[in-house]
Amino acid sequence: MRIRLNVNGNAIELESATDRTLADVLRDELGLIGVRVSCSEGECGSCTILVDGQPMTSCMMLVNQGEGKEILTIEGLGTPEDLHPIQQAFIEEQGFQCAFCTPGFILSAKAFLEENPNPTEDEVAFAMSGNICRCGAYPYIVRSVLNAAEKLQAGSSN
Amino acid sequence: MYKEFEFKSNDLTKAVPGVYGDVQDQVNGMKVVGHGFPVKDAVEKVTGSLKYAVDMTVQNMVHGKILRCPHAHARITKIDTSKAEALAGVIGVLTHHDVPQNDWEAAWFNYRGKVLDGVGRFVGDDLAAVAAVSEEVAQRAIELIDVEYEILAAVFDFEEARSPDAPQIRVEGNERDPYIVKWGDTSEGMALADHTVECDIFYHSQQYASIGRNAAIAEWMGDKVTLWTSSQTPTETRDGVHEALGIPLSKIRVIALPAGSSFGQWWSNNFMMIAVLLAKKVRRPVKIELDNEECMSAVKRRHLEKTRGLMGCTADGQLTVAKIDHLIDNGGYGFKDDVGFFCVDMWGKALHGHYAIHGINTNLLTAGCMRGVGDCTLGASVERMCNQLAEKVDMDPVEFRIKNQIKPGDELRMQHSRDNMHHDSVEEYLAAIPEEYRDEWPKPFHLSSGSTEEILRRGAKSFRWAERWNGWGKPSSVDGPRHRAVGVGTGAHVCGVEFEGNASAMVRLNPDGSLKVHCSVGRQGQGSETTQAQVAAEEMGLSLSMVEVETGDTDSCPWSHGSLASNTMFRVGWATREATRDAKRQLLEIAARDMFDNSDPADLAITDGHVHIKGSRSDSVSISEVLNMVRSDTLGQTSSITGRPAVPMPPSTTFARHFGAQFVEVEVDVDTGKIVLLDYLACQDSGTVINPQVLKNQVIGGAICGAGFAIYEHLVFDKETGAIKNANLLDYKLLRAADFPHKAEVLFGDSYDPVGPFGARGAGEAPIAASISAISQAVYNAIGVWVDLPMTPERLIRALGKV
Repeated sequence: MRIRLNVNGNAIELESATDRTLADVLRDELGLIGVRVSCSEGECGSCTILVDGQPMTSCMMLVNQGEGKEILTIEGLGTPEDLHPIQQAFIEEQGFQCAFCTPGFILSAKAFLEENPNPTEDEVAFAMSGNICRCGAYPYIVRSVLNAAEKLQAGSSN
Repeated sequence: MYKEFEFKSNDLTKAVPGVYGDVQDQVNGMKVVGHGFPVKDAVEKVTGSLKYAVDMTVQNMVHGKILRCPHAHARITKIDTSKAEALAGVIGVLTHHDVPQNDWEAAWFNYRGKVLDGVGRFVGDDLAAVAAVSEEVAQRAIELIDVEYEILAAVFDFEEARSPDAPQIRVEGNERDPYIVKWGDTSEGMALADHTVECDIFYHSQQYASIGRNAAIAEWMGDKVTLWTSSQTPTETRDGVHEALGIPLSKIRVIALPAGSSFGQWWSNNFMMIAVLLAKKVRRPVKIELDNEECMSAVKRRHLEKTRGLMGCTADGQLTVAKIDHLIDNGGYGFKDDVGFFCVDMWGKALHGHYAIHGINTNLLTAGCMRGVGDCTLGASVERMCNQLAEKVDMDPVEFRIKNQIKPGDELRMQHSRDNMHHDSVEEYLAAIPEEYRDEWPKPFHLSSGSTEEILRRGAKSFRWAERWNGWGKPSSVDGPRHRAVGVGTGAHVCGVEFEGNASAMVRLNPDGSLKVHCSVGRQGQGSETTQAQVAAEEMGLSLSMVEVETGDTDSCPWSHGSLASNTMFRVGWATREATRDAKRQLLEIAARDMFDNSDPADLAITDGHVHIKGSRSDSVSISEVLNMVRSDTLGQTSSITGRPAVPMPPSTTFARHFGAQFVEVEVDVDTGKIVLLDYLACQDSGTVINPQVLKNQVIGGAICGAGFAIYEHLVFDKETGAIKNANLLDYKLLRAADFPHKAEVLFGDSYDPVGPFGARGAGEAPIAASISAISQAVYNAIGVWVDLPMTPERLIRALGKV
């Protein structure tokens, strides 16, 4: 079937079988490898994308569930030359090791900080518990998100 | 003229403020080592552009799928692939009839067997493979392969498998010769003991549960093959292909790509060999991508283990005896005879000891080295017995450890009687060390540096241990069903092992003054591409931005074990530094001859990429100027300099260890059995800290992986078939951000190793062991009962006798 997606600000039309997951289409058809797929059952959160601003595990979505929606993947967040403040914060606090899970954490953090721009540490830790970091960078992920909250606050007050 | 880069000190990176504190003394005067630079691939990591093997594609490639054994133990009597081959889109099928019947071995006996031999030794074992135009077609074709099996008797219990009447899984027999370490006479040790304790503890199997899966892509060009895969052991993987196919090493190129969290899972694995053989057969590049269930049920896992032991001490807490029998289950293809039992060294002040390790095969998924192999099990058993002895003599656990754990200069126990040192005896081994090194090298079989003592003392102070510890088996506070208590645990591990080969590295100093390091360590999040670069940059006098590291291409990286056995910083880091030193020596010889009036090279130094007379920066020339001058030099010096280790590495297994000591506060609900971790301090003695940001992260990561093993994680095997019943992340639970104290802190010891690069040693494995023992002890202090791992709510409630 014909699918219309809006990915990272670009309107895209493509042909896809209806039984494909959104994650596979984003990775295989659009080359967005930052959509990481690991557990394929919505548990690890590596494939998290933002759909109309909400974090969703794209391995659990069929492609047509993205029809007409605004989709943001990590590729749409910042560039190497112009990193998003959350990406910058993850580098400063080293909120990763192998980083397979990192795009998912960063996008979860983005949605969370939009809802709760000035969170406590406990709120961050709870909010980041939908994603798994097997390397165990959790304390540094929490610090990354708190650092990002400060950066975003400073940015919005300027 | 090659363009000379402008040197700004560490211009592409900025060290993170506030991380110098603990390591200031070690790094005084050093510009790159000891500083918390962000890792070199940080931008790729946060922008999602880093390519793992699952992201890799090759033009013209087809997709492979593996037929997996539905039985615990079965021989193929007939295999008919005609229907599969007839399916539209199928390119070819590989069976055991196509496979050279050579054994291949993964590092440290993590796999030993043929790629396919027509026998399945566990449910999920590799039997055949299909190549097709898509994964979906390949999977349909797998289902069309007709197989007739002779069902063989199977054995799942490793104690039953020891019986001569048990079904035999391997031609070598089910049980390896025991690996024995002994000193003194345990009956004397018994006689000296005022107190003894015994243990009989079974350990469930932990799954690596990597986030990230893996893939292998193989492509042949004529009779040469290239293999792309995520691996911690690039050159070992190349060696595996060499053994499996019987082709020269020079025809094999492995390009190890970054891996997800690996912990030992992605070394060299049989599916990689299948990709190579399938690609050869179908004459197309083949990609085999494992799904998550395959990663969790068909590759490998931590061993099932059992410790039966006895330890004793005097009334004043001196250990007198350790007598321990430890079983490990290798599953179908593991072949280990030891589990790196470094607790033997750590608690080696025991006056008499006898440890025996028995490796046994079963019809379960292959078991292999997972991070902290042996330390997390045997080590945890020893820690528990020592805790019980400390309680009997009413000694604080910190003091008991300081009294009984190894110190620099003390004898190491585990290498005694080791039979794979290629010498009949320790004496012969020592006699083979060349005379000129005997005085220079650390004394073999004695600890060279570091211990738990400093980190225990400083950690206890920082954690306010004396105030918070309320005595053995006594909670520090009780609020209804919620008991709080603190615990301390320690761990030790080797810093790489030389018995399978010595690590090397190669560096190339380019005419623009930049340096490339080639060392086979892979990338699985441990930051080696950065920390090895820091070692080389410091040695060469360059900024970090001028040094890059190739970690995975076996066409350029000389052999090393890879990132295993906590080898990377100590052994490979040593090789990287020595290779850089060799390049520097060559550069300074040219500079001295041609640019400093035939002065003595020993009088020259390099700072910020400029050669100058020591103590004077006035007449400096850049590395680039030196090498550009050489381009037209009639003496024929090549214009890029290649460096390699020019001296032999001391036998590090015989003297180097790294240590962890961790402190935790837990809250245990005695009604629900739930354990909550409240506060955490992880102390680490790895010698000089090359990058505090990287090491802190690695230490806490180890603590969290250990905490998972302590309170949640275990594989469930089907009683009838041995199949893994929870090969998914819904049923195999991992810790999440809110499950571990986010204020956790790390404290570094400040020992300095005489051999390791700039005084550094290994790092990765002590932290996971320390964590398990710390949490176990804290739970005991909270509830007064020892609970076997994993301390799930159900097991904790059972241990309390409530069900």
